[in-house]
Formats: sequence, structure tokens, C-alpha cells
Amino acid sequence: MDDSVHSRTRAQVAPGTQTLNFTLNGEPRTLEVAPNAVLLDVLREQLGLGGTKKGCDHGQCGACTVHVEGQAMNACLRLAVMCEGQHVTTVEGLARDGELHPVQQHFLECDAYQCGYCTPGQMMSATALLNDERVGTDDASVREAMSGNICRCGAYKNIVEAIQKSRESLSYDATRKEGAA
Amino acid sequence: MNDMTQPKVVGQRTPRIDGEFKLTGRAGYTGELHVDGMLYGYPVPSTIANGKLESLELDEARAMPGVVDIFHHGHFETLHRSPNSMAHGDMVNEVRLPFEDERIYYHGQYVALVVAETFEQARAAAQRVVARYTRMSGAAPGLLQTDAEGELQESAGTSRGDPQAAFGGAEVKVDSTYQIAAESHLQMEMHATLAEWHDDGQRLVVHESTQGVFFQRNAMARVFGLAQENLEVISHYIGSGFGNKLFMWPHAVATTVAARMTGRPVKVVLPRQQDMSSGGNRPASRQRIRLGADRSGKLTSVIHDSTTETSLVHQYVDGCGSATPSFYACDNVSTSQRVLEVNHGTPCPMRAPGEVSGIFALETAMDELAVELDMDPVELRRKNNAELDPASGLPWSSKHLDECLTSAAERFGWAQRNPAVGSMRDGDEIIGYGMAACTWSAGRQPCEARVELRADGTLFAACGTQDIGTGTYTIVAQAVAELTGAELSRIEVKLGETSLPAGPLSGGSMATATVLPAVAAAVRDALDAIKEAAIGSGGAFEGSDADSLFADAGCLTDGNRRVSFEEVLETSKLSSVNGHGSAAPGNEQNEYAFRSFGAHFVEVRIDPDISRVRVARVVSSIDIGRAINPPTARNQVEGGIVMGVGMGLLEKLDYDPRDARLINANVADYIVPTHADAPEIDVELLDYPDFKHNEFGGRGVGEIGLTGVAPAIANAIYHATGKRYRDLPITIEDLLAAD
Repeated sequence: MDDSVHSRTRAQVAPGTQTLNFTLNGEPRTLEVAPNAVLLDVLREQLGLGGTKKGCDHGQCGACTVHVEGQAMNACLRLAVMCEGQHVTTVEGLARDGELHPVQQHFLECDAYQCGYCTPGQMMSATALLNDERVGTDDASVREAMSGNICRCGAYKNIVEAIQKSRESLSYDATRKEGAA
Repeated sequence: MNDMTQPKVVGQRTPRIDGEFKLTGRAGYTGELHVDGMLYGYPVPSTIANGKLESLELDEARAMPGVVDIFHHGHFETLHRSPNSMAHGDMVNEVRLPFEDERIYYHGQYVALVVAETFEQARAAAQRVVARYTRMSGAAPGLLQTDAEGELQESAGTSRGDPQAAFGGAEVKVDSTYQIAAESHLQMEMHATLAEWHDDGQRLVVHESTQGVFFQRNAMARVFGLAQENLEVISHYIGSGFGNKLFMWPHAVATTVAARMTGRPVKVVLPRQQDMSSGGNRPASRQRIRLGADRSGKLTSVIHDSTTETSLVHQYVDGCGSATPSFYACDNVSTSQRVLEVNHGTPCPMRAPGEVSGIFALETAMDELAVELDMDPVELRRKNNAELDPASGLPWSSKHLDECLTSAAERFGWAQRNPAVGSMRDGDEIIGYGMAACTWSAGRQPCEARVELRADGTLFAACGTQDIGTGTYTIVAQAVAELTGAELSRIEVKLGETSLPAGPLSGGSMATATVLPAVAAAVRDALDAIKEAAIGSGGAFEGSDADSLFADAGCLTDGNRRVSFEEVLETSKLSSVNGHGSAAPGNEQNEYAFRSFGAHFVEVRIDPDISRVRVARVVSSIDIGRAINPPTARNQVEGGIVMGVGMGLLEKLDYDPRDARLINANVADYIVPTHADAPEIDVELLDYPDFKHNEFGGRGVGEIGLTGVAPAIANAIYHATGKRYRDLPITIEDLLAAD
């Protein structure tokens, strides 16, 4: 037998709140946030934007992926105050004028999900990688680039199919836009 | 009467009707719900696995901003004893109520619940709670870390013939022991509860991420001493479950007590670490299989002895042998089950509970037998195919295992397999081909449903079951569309509430066959009601015979004239008509045995220089009767295959053998398959509607895809390396050790 004491972190939380100015899904926002508030929790709890999901809070599962300045990032690994002056896009900002983004449309058609909980993160990573010239266009490159987004339902095959079909329709759209211009 | 042999909507590819909600972020999963005045709870988990909580130092935490209260043993409501009955629909996952005493039985057991105004405040204060323990020596280690035998479960065993004597006299024998590490469900959405009391504590609304709203309601009603009518459980969207959300857990009770004692709604989302330590696991198993056969490969004896873990606060039996008596034709078969108590978090059903472990052992043993016999493993399965269910002696309602074996083998290219170990190579890689059969029972439960035809032209169907991602919302709409001819876009489906007609657990691959017949009965009842209105005074078909009317394309018609449902209702000045339906398994259960079968073929590629094994492709044929919605059904099997890759190669809950603490309770150290780990997958669903099972012809599909994958991988690795791996997961370290 031995006596043991267990306590956790002793770090002090700074008191009060801080003002955060940032652009969320195209809208300028000003908020008072706790200094230890994480972007993910501010989105879900303070702003009521539940589309960005919490799966681990440790940057291990990808469910909370959002775009910060156009880059895919784990919202659980950023303090909200780090977003000062930045542009943040969440899944709620993907559809435009009530029309699904091509990635959303292809996720629907390819049944690229089951429970739907990792899906916003999958789509935010997918939209980022489709704009990322460093990521190859073959299936293996897409799988590698998407491997930070876990889908425990295991809908990976359909997710990759949806991403590749989105690539086709996005490039078609881009060509058409250029042609129209 | 619709002709279900030629359906128009059922069996057709149908995008999920809830898809747009999930894809736009508007689907409200429990953890993201908000109600006015809501507080946040954050549990404090035990950091020891075996001992006594001596004291909690709470002064500092209590003084922190926003903290409303801290609940613990000594500051908690006195509750009624937990029920735990499958028959009464109130089974729970852990009978011990939270904070019931000061004993600590496992690492992660809740010792306190901090409740504060914000999530950040609750978390910060929970981290300042200081717990003092007396640690007791002799924490019971995991099953695979001890030689302890566990307690025999007399009721869980079966026997026919004389398996011992038959094994003793068998011409060819296999006698092997298999071990599978404990696994985490790791469903993407952690357990979550939001509890609100109304009417001065007389009425309770609980939002829970659950696979069984009625089970949770019934259990909570007993624990809180409420009439079932005064308690509502709601679960509209579930970030999957895989079995660990079937029954109530202590976090839900603690949250609900906190809501009553603070007088405000409280929401708790378990942190992932606690979800893994305290929210269920697939227990580790050790199984011994003895197979006896004659020289032709005919099985003469199957003896399957299993031991699984349970916790010290709840008896959970993961019956590994439950498929074995029905799997192959053999006159002499026995199964036994032991359970060992360990100081780990309580295990619970996980996708294909018991059977998936048992099938790993049995189907690996069958491969070993094929090697002993120098026989093709596919041929060995054919030779022992059971024409009747050998367990019950009943004929199968529908069984096409032979066709699954043939079709999958052909698509896979099994004929190109050189059976010699290590004989197939591609550059530096060694290629292994392996296969296994798979199976899962086809169950069905009683169910009720309600259907409304509305004057605004919409149709509404409701049932108190859930959609955990399997596509239940969509197949209910398909059933309504099938029987009314109405457009899918006009059909609204409501699930996941105990205010709706009683529906089943989303578990055991039973929901589809259970819910759809009740929905069909409700549709027919609603159609009877609208016909009744139509033929009545002032009705659209006044004076007609009700039997002369039928539904077609969302209209009533007598063959000449067609009137839309909404016009019929408007003509009769009705806002809607209601139909109630119920359905239950019947006498067919005494006439036939119901079980699905299939086969997986796996190619592994091994890089011998770095002992890396990858599953390159999986080709499967599965017979599930009729797929009500083929893409969602196929998705279930594909997802099961991915989970099987995890079971075979990656997944292991790691407990410290010294003190039974869980070491890898996070998503980085507990490894599940990612995109890059997913093999090429080719799944075929045979299409033989099983009308003996239910009028839609579908058997469940959630679990069978996982069964048989891990043994097919292990058998492929044997083919590549000549080394027989009998313990899961098969890791790089195992392959290195073999060199």
C-alpha cells in the first residue's frame, strides 16, 4: 500500500477576456474570448457553429479542420486569440447562396460518409488539397494528404472518389470561368 | 399490395435524405447542442486503477471563476439501483452508479464532476482538483498479461455430439490458441449528454448520443424514479457508436444529477481520453480451437474455448463462440466461455461483438487445417458448407455462401495463387493471398411506427429508432415511397426520440429488418384511413368501394381517375390522416434459421527489409438478402473491412501490466486505419431477397463486413511468410521477431 497524490497542471489561467477581431466565413466578427479558449470551442460553444467537430482535442483526428488564411488547420490546436485579423472558413462557409460546394455535392453523390461526424473536417481538408499544387492528383497522393482526417466508419474509398470527382468538376468550372472571361 | 419482388424505390441507389444536413454542418449532434442557461460539466478521472479515494481537495477549484459546483462521493444525489435487463429494455453498460462509493476499480473511473459556466472554466477547474488515493496492490492485470483462467459461464456454452472423443480419434488435427488485444471503438463523436429538468424536477429531457433512446429512457426512469412518460431521450444525429452507445453509462447519470442539483441544464462531452478509458472497449480474448477432420477435409470435431475480460463493476460476456455452432457442418461441436475480472474500464459490445473475435480464431484454424490437409482453403470451406443450420437443425431462410466463395475468388484472381509459402513476389515485395468466410446472425425485434399523409402534400414517418450513420433515415423514406409512390423529396422522417413509437436499438444489424415492416404496416394503415375518407360523404371517391382504390405515385386511384393525397385530404377537409403500424418476428423464427454469410479475399504485400506489411486489396462477396439502399449497404461492408484492417494490424489498447493503467488513451497512440492504410476494396452484395425474414427481403449489414477480415489478413501473411500469427494485432515488431 502506498499513499499517492495526483494533481494535474498548475498553470495559471489569465483572468478576464480579450477582444478578438477576425473574419469568419466572409463576415467580420468581434468577440470577447477567454485567453485559454481554443478556436474549436469558440466556434462550437460561443458562436453556435457546430459544423466543426471535436474528435480528440489533440490535433490527432482532423475532425475540427478549418481553413485559416486558406490553409487547412486543426481548430483544436489554435487559441482563438491567435486568429486576430485572420480569415477563418468553416464548413458552414462552404455552400454559397444555398448551393452546395462541388465537394459537398460529390460527398453526397458518392456516399462519402456514414455517421457524418468527421465529414466537415474531411471536406475542409479536401477543398484545401484541391487548391494545393504540392499535392499530386493521383489517388495515392490524395490518400496521403488526407491521412490526417480519420473516418472511423471507414468510408475512405468513397471519400477519395468524391475528392477526385470534385477535382474534375472544379477544373471544368475553372475552365468555363476563364472561357467566359 | 405492392410487389416486393419488383420494387421501384427499395433496392435503388438513393442519396441519404439527411445528407445535406451532415454536409453543411446543420446536423445537430449532441455535443454541439445549446439550451438557455446551460452549464458545462467536465469529469475528473481516477489516475489509479485499484484502490480507494481518500480525499478530494476542492477549495482551489471551487474558488475558480465560473465554477458552480463540484459533485463527488458524499456530494451527490441518492439514486435508485441501476436496472440491467435486456428483456425489459433497460440494460446498462455499467451497473455501478457514479460516485457510489470511494472504491476505485479502474483507471479513468470518475471521481468528481466539475460544473461551470463555460467549457474553459469547467476544464480549468477540473485540472485543479486534487485527489488523494490509497493505492491497493494487486491490480488485476489484463487477460493477456496473466495466466488466470476466469470464471466459466455455464449458460454461455453449447455442445452437440461427442467433440472430445471425435477430436481424439481425428485423422487430422489442429490445436491452436489465439489472442486478441482489447480494442477501442473510437467512434468519432465522443459520448455526450445534455440533461434538462423541467416542471420543478418532475420532467426530464436528456439529449444523448445513443444507439438506443428507449433503452436509455427506461434505464434512467428506474435510476431517477420517474415515470417513463416524464422522461424524454433524444438523439437525432449520432457520430457513430459501434456498440458502445447501446446502453447507458455513468457519465449520463452524473450529468443528469448535476442538472437537477444545480437547477440548470448541464452538458458533458467526454474528453477523448475518458471516452477511451471509461466509455467502453472490446475486451481482450484468449481462445483455444481444436479442429478434427478426416483426410478428405470433412470436419469431425470443433472445440472452441474462449475467455474474455470484464471489469470489477459490471459483468460483460463477449461470447466468442456464438457463431461457431452454426458455421460449418460438423456433428461434434462444443463451445465454452470464461470471463476474467480485470481492473480496466468496463468492456461492452463492439461491432460484431464476440463473433468477430471467435471468427478470427475459427477461420485462422481452418486455414491451418487446410495447410495440414494440403488442401485449398476455399475448397475446405465448400466441403464443410452447412446445408442446414447445424445448431438448430432448421433450414436456412436463404444461404449463398458457395456463390460468395466462387464469385469473390474469381474477381480476386485466387486461381493465380501459388500455394507454396513465400512463392509470390513483385519486385522486392512478397505477396500473400489469404481468405476467410464471414457471418453474422440476422435478427429482428418488435417495432412500432407512425405514418402521416398531410394535406400540404408531405408524408411523415416516425419511429423511435436511430440512424447511427447506417442510413436508417433514408431507408425509412424509401419504404414509404415504395408503398405510396410519393416522391422521396416529399417524405419527412423523424427518428431518435422516445416520444415516437417504440423502435429498436441501432445494433446487432437488426434495425433494418425490424423497422421497415413496422413502417410498412403504418403506411398501409394510413392508406386505409385516406381511402376511408375518400369514399365518405363529400370525399374525392364518394361512394366507391375502398377495396377498389389503391395508391400510385402519391395519388389514390380507382384505375381511371387519380387524385393526389393532398387533394383527397383537402376535399374531405382533413389536415392529415394517421397510420399506426407494428410488426414483430413470427412463426418463421421456428421454421428457419436466419444468418448472413460471405467471403473476404485479401492480398498483403510485405517488404521484408523493413518488415512492413500492407493490405493491398480486399475482394468480398456478401449475401445480405436484398440491399435496401445499395450504396449505404456497401459502405457498411467497406467500412467493416477498413475496421478489420485495424483489428488485424494496428489496434491495441495498451494497459500497463504493473498497475493496470491505460497507456495509449489518445488517437495518436491508439492506431486506427487512415486514408493511407485503406486497401483497394471491391465489395459485391449478392441480391437474393430473403422474404422469409421480412417482406422487404433485407437482412442487416452493419456487422458482417468486419467479421472474417482479420483472419483473411493473418492467413495471407502466413502465405507470404510461412509464419502463423495467432495474436492480434500483427505488428511490425511481430514480423521482426520472426526473422
